[in-house]
Amino acid sequence: MNRRAKDLFIKRLNRAGSYAILIVVAVLVVTPIIWLLLSSLKQDSDYMAWPIHFLPINWQWINYERVFTLTPFVKIALRTAVLGISCSIIVAITSAMGGYAFARFQDVNGNSRLFRVIIVLLIVPGIVFMIPQFIVYSYVHLIPNTYWPWILGALVGSPLFIFLYRQFFLGFPKELEEAAELDGCNPFQIFWLIILPNAKPVIATVLIFAFNGIWSDYLQPTLFLNDQMQLLGAKMATAFVDPHGNALRTVSLAATVIYILPLVIVFFFGQKYILKGLVTSGLKG
Amino acid sequence: MAATNVVSARRPPRSSSRAKRRSRTFYLFITPWLLGLIFLTLIPFIFGFVISLTNYDGINLPTVKFVGLDNYIRAFSDQYVSFSIGRTLVWTAFNLPIWLGLSFLLALILNQDVKGRDFFRTLYYLPSVVPAVAAVTVWKILLDKNNGFLNGVISLFQPGTAVGWLTTYALQGMTAIAVWSGLGGGMVIFLAGLQNIPDELVEAAKIDGAGSWQIFQYITLPLMTPIIFFQLIMGLIGSFQQLVYPLLLATVTGQYVSVPPRSIYLYMIHTYQQIFANQRYGYGTALLWLLTIGVTALTLIVFWSQKFWVYSGDIPETEGSS
Repeated sequence: MNRRAKDLFIKRLNRAGSYAILIVVAVLVVTPIIWLLLSSLKQDSDYMAWPIHFLPINWQWINYERVFTLTPFVKIALRTAVLGISCSIIVAITSAMGGYAFARFQDVNGNSRLFRVIIVLLIVPGIVFMIPQFIVYSYVHLIPNTYWPWILGALVGSPLFIFLYRQFFLGFPKELEEAAELDGCNPFQIFWLIILPNAKPVIATVLIFAFNGIWSDYLQPTLFLNDQMQLLGAKMATAFVDPHGNALRTVSLAATVIYILPLVIVFFFGQKYILKGLVTSGLKG
Repeated sequence: MAATNVVSARRPPRSSSRAKRRSRTFYLFITPWLLGLIFLTLIPFIFGFVISLTNYDGINLPTVKFVGLDNYIRAFSDQYVSFSIGRTLVWTAFNLPIWLGLSFLLALILNQDVKGRDFFRTLYYLPSVVPAVAAVTVWKILLDKNNGFLNGVISLFQPGTAVGWLTTYALQGMTAIAVWSGLGGGMVIFLAGLQNIPDELVEAAKIDGAGSWQIFQYITLPLMTPIIFFQLIMGLIGSFQQLVYPLLLATVTGQYVSVPPRSIYLYMIHTYQQIFANQRYGYGTALLWLLTIGVTALTLIVFWSQKFWVYSGDIPETEGSS
């Protein structure tokens, strides 16, 4: 009986400790975001004040309006969204082709060897290829004023997405395809009419990942584009300025909030796809 | 694209035309990726290697000279190379254990039956959707020396605090940003791993009288080693290639020229500076190759170390788990 009481005590202690950790981490995670929101509602002078003002003196909701009226944010955001959406759609299709081939044509010579290449490419991070690509693209003048590096990158598919599709198609029943084949469908019809319409969850995952990748990317646009063509990810690194060249500090913070917002919304609606994609790519072992 | 020996040996001869057809279809389907592999990956990579053997400056092709392995030899006498390698190692030693440990701990807690599990999981993952460029902005205003939140809070108790969290302590500040951003992703993968551990195993251990620490030590931890191993590899590679955070934390910035504080002058920053600030393409690509070799070697060492600590058997089958 005594031992049971002791166990219960340890269990309670454990539990209390767990909640303490959860809450402390939650506070640490949320504080930066709250501080960003508060700062984005201050006047510049208020924001620069010392000792600091924890809350805005005048709540400058107008900062959010000024993002639209005083800065080129909307124009650049639209440009980034159009590029992001088009490239995501392209890469979702080309990668699906690759993933389907790797999943369903395993009897073909070369399949497993090429798939090993995909795995290696998954581990090697982008930057190792980005600098040589920069040199080649500059040499053929696709840098600094075209979006070809993005479009080409989407057209050839991505190792990560090919991998995600492959894992999905491996668990996909073969009967449908076999029936379609008996009905005289060629492989491309099967892919287009049977496979793609039934792959909606993984397509959603890929679309979200691909769009987020382009919307969030800082390095590639910084290196590959000049100022006239620049994308939002690179633009957000520095504060917007007024016509006299003075930094619009808190307006830029409001712009940062608007910049993050679509990603948060996509996350809330696509949570299960995002987490599933993350877990599939994380647990490939 | 030759028809396969393996396949024709396994199948009756009359289906070899089918095998050929399947082979053709397979290669047609992966043509986009193959073209990308050749033209956007292999050729730039080889081109990069060729450049690393020259004095190419990005502009003057006619005056390019072949310099052999000079660029590689030079790297060994470049004091900034050894300095930046040192900083990269310190950064990795800081960032990796904290990130791994914290995300594992959170996953362990959230794998239990706690209230608000989904809420906490979503909350911790939220920073992961914040792009690096915005994460740095967020942390800049939080940790700013003169009017940041942290110094402001400390000043409530110790007026006049002006600690340079992103300059003097840039390494620590950068670690905070990286952990904040990476926590959710790490946690989700650990959680998925934990959920693969069959409940029956844990129940059986409980019946045998194992305490929660024993269960962790003899069941959870060993079964999680493959995932810890995977996270370690990805984390190592990521830390060694870290470029974006120091670039965004640079105090002097231009489109291409950025000088971060000394404590976060990482190896990739030095490489980046050589190429984009100094137009030393040859030397810069040589540094990039050295990094690739170094990281590959390191990865192989971790792979080799696997046999000493990573559980390699299957997760034990128990009835009820598929």
